Amino acid sequence: MANMKLSHMSHWKTVPYKQIDNFRDFYYEDKTNMAYYQDWDRILRYHKATGYDGIELAPWDMAEILGLFGTPEEYTAFAKERGIEVSGMFHGADDSQILEKHDEVLQAAKENIDLLERFGGKHLNMCPARNYCAAGPLSDDDLKVAAGVINEIGEYALAHGIQVGLHNEFFCAVNKENHRRFLEMTDPKSVFYCLDTAQIALMGDNLLDFYDTYADRICTFHLKDTASTGEPDEIRHGMDPEIVDDGWRWFWEPGEGILPLEELWKLVKKHDFKGWVTIEDDGAPDYLAAMALSSYYFNEVLGKIYR
Amino acid sequence: MKTVFSTEMVDLDRQAPNRNKRESKYFWDELYPLIAAGRFQSIEIPYEPKWDFGGRSGIPRTMRSIQMKFETPEGYTKHLAEMGITSVGCVHLDSALFCAGAPEMYLGALGHFAEEAIEFTKGLKCPVLTITTTPPVYAVKNLLKSREDFSEDLLIEKLAELITDINQKATDAGITLCVKNTYWGLFRGEGIFDFLEKLPDTVKLDVDTAHLAIAGVSPAEFVKKAGNRIGMVHFTDTAFEDNQEAYAQPLPEFPAKAATKVFRDIGDGNVEFTSIVTALKEVGYDGEICFNCRNSYDMYRSILRTRSYIDRTLVPAGYEE
Repeated sequence: MANMKLSHMSHWKTVPYKQIDNFRDFYYEDKTNMAYYQDWDRILRYHKATGYDGIELAPWDMAEILGLFGTPEEYTAFAKERGIEVSGMFHGADDSQILEKHDEVLQAAKENIDLLERFGGKHLNMCPARNYCAAGPLSDDDLKVAAGVINEIGEYALAHGIQVGLHNEFFCAVNKENHRRFLEMTDPKSVFYCLDTAQIALMGDNLLDFYDTYADRICTFHLKDTASTGEPDEIRHGMDPEIVDDGWRWFWEPGEGILPLEELWKLVKKHDFKGWVTIEDDGAPDYLAAMALSSYYFNEVLGKIYR
Repeated sequence: MKTVFSTEMVDLDRQAPNRNKRESKYFWDELYPLIAAGRFQSIEIPYEPKWDFGGRSGIPRTMRSIQMKFETPEGYTKHLAEMGITSVGCVHLDSALFCAGAPEMYLGALGHFAEEAIEFTKGLKCPVLTITTTPPVYAVKNLLKSREDFSEDLLIEKLAELITDINQKATDAGITLCVKNTYWGLFRGEGIFDFLEKLPDTVKLDVDTAHLAIAGVSPAEFVKKAGNRIGMVHFTDTAFEDNQEAYAQPLPEFPAKAATKVFRDIGDGNVEFTSIVTALKEVGYDGEICFNCRNSYDMYRSILRTRSYIDRTLVPAGYEE
């Protein structure tokens, strides 16, 4: 029995069809690979075929998903027929550092928790506050306000069978200078951590030390690689740093960057981690290839250390 | 007639291999000279504020992105000129972008971003702002489903008031405001004429050929009926026949019962452009013709296909650039 289940974060943008039954005719319209990327039926089958157990959904896709499937339960059943579970969903707790927005922030999170529960997901991976350029720098009082509402969100989530995992991004207001402190300000009983391996390295924190220190808080992973570490303030605090003008990629498939992922997995084994690991390949030019590369690395390289 | 090429051919919403680079500035900087190489010196820009919220300022479809990358609209037009694009012929705002929450929110957002789009259009010295007036039928139904106090007729009345107000602001800025209908909107086919009657004469009509054809209307006959009310023309092509009521489906551009690419490259569908050109000349239209290979599967092929179609079919049929 494996200790970990492998999921894939859905960065496929809008998938416009539920299922294409006239696949051959559709292909012949253009005779390119475009027909291969347009329906959930095939995309979910690609997940299964490349070794994934689950998919993590994106909230920005919900309008189209619910338009195509009607209900979350219908989507989940459709995915299950193809051997895929919904592992979780991302959520942006925008403005969580603003006391006056407390009710609004809490309500938005509750709505996504309710939605995720209907999808059968277990992880709400949540980014506190906004990007640094919009909300930073955060004072200790700001952090306390954010921690307060996130604790409430965490309690609500737990009552619905879901774990809230704080999710760090290298350009967010919760950043290198305060993200450990912020994690410690939240309640360990109800707020957990989704360790995005590339983001934490880009921030300039030590991936191995961070995991070893906070292993008991880490409920899931966003596993990805990077060839950039310790980005300076002018990048992390800058405007719109996520998409770079010249096409520079912050993120690579595990094994294609420079992170000590095999060392990390020895620690993962040491701490006896059990749960979902999600491959996140945002920025990849071909998600199908990236999924296959990542799955191979997870199973054949990291899996030899711990699976 | 003034030939314009639409950058709406760049699909940013659907996944495909190599899609992600379209969010970076370098992609667009490579694209402009290739559009110009197809002998298109004027472009259409869809105004899409949604990219601001994701920090996607590499996508040149909002005022914020232009300010971030080029400081001012003038800086952007100078940049375009250096790449061979000498003008922006049309800016398109699709009201479906704001169809969420309550109808009051939809109308408020449309009004707010229309004002922003007017500033954008003015800054680019573009003559025309065109608005796709209603969201898809399905989206409107969802918008109003829990509002017994807010009927579809009321929404149309409020839209007419709002468009009238937007038109005044556009006129003050020296811009012609056009309204465009879609095969999936409330004013599909000739339904737009009823809506036009609620608007000032200075609001013009944007003729979109594929949308009309799919709605079962002859674009050439529509042009003759619209006459001097036409302020903009979009040449779009299609081979799609809507025999599955796709227009009312959740994603009407992607017919659920039989997948197809609704909008084809120019010349690859069944729209009879030569007869439309003749009709436009008959009614004395000499404004912009915007060629739109919407959501192209292969952008560089779309540029060349369009140029080839213009040179080999439209020019011999009397189309004058």
